[in-house]
Amino acid sequence: MTLDYLFVFAQAHEEFRIPELLSVAELYDIKITFPEDPAKADVSRPFMVLGLESEEDVKQLARRCILIKSVHEFWGRGKTYEDMFAMTRENRSRWDKYVADTSFKFRVEAYNHTIPQRRQREIMESFDWMDFLGEINMRNAEITLSVFEEYVDKHGTTRHKHEGDGDFVEVFFGRLLEEGSARKLIQTFDVKKRSYFGNTSMEAEISLLMANQTLASPGKLVYDPFVGTGSMAYTTAHFGAYVYGSDIDGRQMRGKDKTPGIMRAAAQYGVQQRIMDLCTFDVTRNPWRCGELFDAIITDPPYGVRAGAKRLGRKTPLTRPSQQYVANRQDDQPYIPPTRPYELSALASDLVLLARYMLKPGGRLVFFLPTVTDEYAELDLHTLLCEGMEVIANSLQDFGSWGRRLITIKKTTSEKYSPPTFDTTPVTAAPDTPAHIPAHKDFREKYFQGFKKDEPET
Amino acid sequence: MVRLITHNLLACHAKGCTTNNFPLRLQDAAVELRDAEFNAEFVRGFLPRLEWKALVGAARELGDKSLPEEMPEMVDEEFLQKLHHVLLEIHIDEGAMVCPNCGHVYPIANGIPNMLLAEHEIA
Repeated sequence: MTLDYLFVFAQAHEEFRIPELLSVAELYDIKITFPEDPAKADVSRPFMVLGLESEEDVKQLARRCILIKSVHEFWGRGKTYEDMFAMTRENRSRWDKYVADTSFKFRVEAYNHTIPQRRQREIMESFDWMDFLGEINMRNAEITLSVFEEYVDKHGTTRHKHEGDGDFVEVFFGRLLEEGSARKLIQTFDVKKRSYFGNTSMEAEISLLMANQTLASPGKLVYDPFVGTGSMAYTTAHFGAYVYGSDIDGRQMRGKDKTPGIMRAAAQYGVQQRIMDLCTFDVTRNPWRCGELFDAIITDPPYGVRAGAKRLGRKTPLTRPSQQYVANRQDDQPYIPPTRPYELSALASDLVLLARYMLKPGGRLVFFLPTVTDEYAELDLHTLLCEGMEVIANSLQDFGSWGRRLITIKKTTSEKYSPPTFDTTPVTAAPDTPAHIPAHKDFREKYFQGFKKDEPET
Repeated sequence: MVRLITHNLLACHAKGCTTNNFPLRLQDAAVELRDAEFNAEFVRGFLPRLEWKALVGAARELGDKSLPEEMPEMVDEEFLQKLHHVLLEIHIDEGAMVCPNCGHVYPIANGIPNMLLAEHEIA
């Protein structure tokens, strides 16, 4: 039977909230019933009442979802305390068992507001009608009764500290089940406290959200083909998965010490055993012997702002073969082959093709795609999809004129495919159907031009 | 690093090198043993991907003779434990992997293999 639970979410990365819930639910085989009323499923609000089949399921979500702050057994809500009390009365069966002799305490909080102490006391006293006979114990209460008042955001207005007190949008009431414990991992994986990182390292919260999108768990095999300084390898391995990383630039993975930087940071998190191996190679010239190896591919491809994507080759091919040069070199330095830029839209479509080949059926590709806010269209994503690969989540992290989208693609096919050829020659569409040019094409150039439109000068 | 599971998954990918390009021959391998947590399900799940002969060959080259020549029909816990050890606990930190066909040398330094190709080896 499904019961209602009150979820309190962190108001950060709102677009990532539902995809994360759905991913973790899929991982643990948990069924979630979402509210039918869109106003009650609005992710700009931190409170949401969800239907779940067991308390254990609710706690499991709170232990794994990065965006959950706390979860509560839901007893009532309302635009006024009277309305909320009326609903709580009807839900008596949910709290009747605590009336006789359960010790309790209250926790009264507000979102976008601070309730003055005097009124906090009044609020607690207003629950007298429930006739709880157990003692009030602030330290060791058996249950915590949670009251949340939700206020509209008054950010940027000048006002007195408690101005508008009581003018809440809605009030929620329930019994605390569990504090979200996964949120603490944001501190654990803080890049500033990491023994090895670079200027392209991904922030902890996003690395954790990405790891959750891969359904990382013990025994899974996950691959990052642009591993860089390993940001997502640590979080993915933390959740139990084995991680392979590769990068065209070995210096990113190594750093300066003898022990590779990624291994040092992995040791700090106690996950070095799960870093399966790190390899230096260009993913477009990769040595993987076969496909269908990985449960997930997780990556933040370089898109040219801090680091540009590179692949083997030259911008302008040499006229004479380089073979003699390589063979007859006199110095003992390692040979460093030339590289050329890898345009983002080509890289993105190649990545999807590679994922289709390298993922097991049902596996997931999780990656960031930078987009120009004014130009992005849903169609952009379709330009990089191929048969058997379906977008299951697309969450925007908005930076204003540009943003990046966390895309989760699932391999829905069990067909066998041959490895992608990574041809750079673009497919020329028939003249009457001009090919859609995705907004992320030439992202680097657009970024450095400040996303100005090509308007004719006046 | 460069565990035998990885060695079992890498083939020479130089231009035109498509036959006899696996398994890569181990050269001057400096071996280190490191404990890894045992996950029976993972090892079992990996069996269909494994090139058995290549794995046994590489393990024997490195002095580990715990695996039988042929993959046993009976997959029990004891076998999975042995396989786990060979796949995940034997690390090659220094040395090289050499293609038996074209002779390309893929050096391993500090546990990271350099699988980059030279300019004339890509299409």
